[in-house]
Amino acid sequence: MLFNSLDFAVFLPLVFALYWLSGSKKTQNLILFLASLIFYGWWNLRFLSLILFSILLDFFLAKKIEKSTDTQKKWLLYLSLSANLGLLGVFKYFNFFIDSFVEVFAFFSVQFSPTHLNIILPVGISFYTFQTLSYSIDVYRGKIKASNDFIAFGSFVSFFPQLVAGPIERATNLLPQFQQKRVFNYTQSVDGLRQILWGFIKKVVIADHCAVYVNMIYADYTEYSGFWLLMASVLFAFQIYGDFSGYSDIAIGTAKLFGVSLMQNFAFPYFSRDIAEFWRRWHISLSTWFRDYLYIPLGGSKTSLVKQIRNTFAVFLVSGFWHGANFTFIVWGGLNALYFLPLLLGKKNRRHLDVVAQHSSFASLKELYQMATTFLITTLAWVFFRASSVEQACLILKKICSFSLFNMTSSISLKPFAVLILLLFTFLVVEWMGRADRYALERLFTTYSRAVRFSFYALLIVVIGLFMQTTQTSFIYFQF
Amino acid sequence: MHIVLFLVFTTCLYVFCIVLSGLVLPQKLRPNLMYPLGGNGHLFSRIQELKQIDSVDVLFLGSSHAYRGFDTRIFADSSISVFNLGSSAQTPLQTNILLKRYLDKIKVQHIIYEVYPGTLCSDGVEASLDLLANDGFDFMNFDLLINTKHLKVLNTFIYAAFRKYFRLDDDFKEPKEKYDDLYVKGGFVEKKAKAYHPPKTRATNTFKHKANQVKYFKENIALIKSQDIKFTLVIAPVTSSLYSSYTNHDFFEELFAKQGTLLNYNPKFLDDSLDFYDAHHLNQRGVERFNRVLIRDFKKD
Repeated sequence: MLFNSLDFAVFLPLVFALYWLSGSKKTQNLILFLASLIFYGWWNLRFLSLILFSILLDFFLAKKIEKSTDTQKKWLLYLSLSANLGLLGVFKYFNFFIDSFVEVFAFFSVQFSPTHLNIILPVGISFYTFQTLSYSIDVYRGKIKASNDFIAFGSFVSFFPQLVAGPIERATNLLPQFQQKRVFNYTQSVDGLRQILWGFIKKVVIADHCAVYVNMIYADYTEYSGFWLLMASVLFAFQIYGDFSGYSDIAIGTAKLFGVSLMQNFAFPYFSRDIAEFWRRWHISLSTWFRDYLYIPLGGSKTSLVKQIRNTFAVFLVSGFWHGANFTFIVWGGLNALYFLPLLLGKKNRRHLDVVAQHSSFASLKELYQMATTFLITTLAWVFFRASSVEQACLILKKICSFSLFNMTSSISLKPFAVLILLLFTFLVVEWMGRADRYALERLFTTYSRAVRFSFYALLIVVIGLFMQTTQTSFIYFQF
Repeated sequence: MHIVLFLVFTTCLYVFCIVLSGLVLPQKLRPNLMYPLGGNGHLFSRIQELKQIDSVDVLFLGSSHAYRGFDTRIFADSSISVFNLGSSAQTPLQTNILLKRYLDKIKVQHIIYEVYPGTLCSDGVEASLDLLANDGFDFMNFDLLINTKHLKVLNTFIYAAFRKYFRLDDDFKEPKEKYDDLYVKGGFVEKKAKAYHPPKTRATNTFKHKANQVKYFKENIALIKSQDIKFTLVIAPVTSSLYSSYTNHDFFEELFAKQGTLLNYNPKFLDDSLDFYDAHHLNQRGVERFNRVLIRDFKKD
């Protein structure tokens, strides 16, 4: 079930009403658990068995881990890791590895045609697998007690707002919330609705509009000049931001309607002054996951410089690979690691921990330059993320770096394109105004009279009505 | 209470902004509000003419295959009075509304219902916008809204309600000739384009029907039968390359044939290059060849 579908528009109020009419913690969790299974089963009923298997496995293994000796604990953890990662490997990476082996053997003139698995990737498997993994690891580390309440644990793993595309929650934050009764909070619900509204603007107005041009140009990239390829890549930067952070906003906002608080997943990443700051602000739940469960266990920054570099590359490459079974994602991860390297070597990776232009309305020229260069290099890296192959990405970059960068002629109709630019500009202004908050609308106009606030939110709904892309599109991160 | 107040306020503002943007903004700046008054297909002229007619021998229904495929002049030459009530991308949903609106008002001996599997697979948005802008406004328009569940239909519905209520379209005069199209008395639209260069290959495809369109199709047939009007279902010619690119015609032919007499003028009935101006539509040469055969078959029937 997509957030931007009529099904969800019916589903959400129904679950909301049932949930708050129910009296106890147990019934609240049961409603959430069943609703989440329906939400997930809407795509494909067969994949429900996968998520149920994950839930059952980690629920019982964690209980065992908690009661076992140190050696047993380790083996049980390995069992959890290999079962979860094994499923992920089979469904997401099996065909990729097979193809890669074939190519390697073909290089040595050995031809063979192995069996491929004719399977589709279960939606959200990368997300809930990481969530259950973090639970098992945290129980193993003694950071959290194993849950004795299966329904609460099932609700934690399958919580529908964040099930298919995050934020990837930690058991330490989310599970305790399911272990107590939630009480309806009007302010929190209104805040949730506000965040949902902004999420929809990001998704159906910004991302889906950008997608029209991005898809058109990337599908026929040999026909477009460097200028339009750069335009498409810039638009893709906004598309993926609008799409993914929009999803996160809707997820976090929806969770608030149920009295549940999820972690922030995006913090205005395109207002970053260097790539380190960008990665502190982009897909925070995944970045921090890799920090806690990969970077730090490898030694983190408290080790020799060579190992620090190794750890950095490991995190970025694995993060790239997490996104998909394609070399484009690995190159994308590697490129970001390369961007990060000079900051690491110069020990400048923790320079910008505050918000840009925190005490003024406008950024300084220096800050503008920093933000523009950071945006530009991330955009160039996105080319690999968007392209269907490394070769295609290289050709696109080559064209962007050629003289055709100054050739603006194309068959693209300029009036609708100008509308998109206007929408993007307005969007950026609103995002800039709210950059110190958790999402742009969090405090915008909240101190004004009700009439002003109502008018503002209603106008946003009008903008959605007038400008949303009416072709229903899935969220990009569903494929991961 | 605040939420209810907000919803009421938002609804009012939404309606106001839709109307305002419809009146003020050019089409390209309001992508989700279409109001194709006198748009492609001359539906406005057709409806105005229909209102002046009391009886016809044959009424045509269907999509652009109908209003671009059944030439009223050729039928008149054979002493058959006809009216062509086709409209762009007309699906059974819109046919249903047109039948309910007009079938009681004119005396019809026979209906030729042009059926094309594609119309059963369509969401009906394009045809709904056409109908909202070019026909009257009544409660049946809610059917369009409920069945399409589409934002563009909602916005156009609001704007159409405003325009019809304040009679803003009353003075509209649609030119008979536009975009190479000539509107011919009786609802036919003649295309001036002559030839077509069909693609060498076409990817194979299947029609995937929508349950509600099939439901409306059956309802239309029941409605026609309830008025004791004879009817013939016709699959008008499309290019053989387009026709043969779809692999599940049998299913739809069976569905149509179950409802009544079905005449299928595909495939290879006409020449792809000489008798069409695009993959779907006949040029005048094709129309004349097709209509002569259709009249012969009709008289036989």
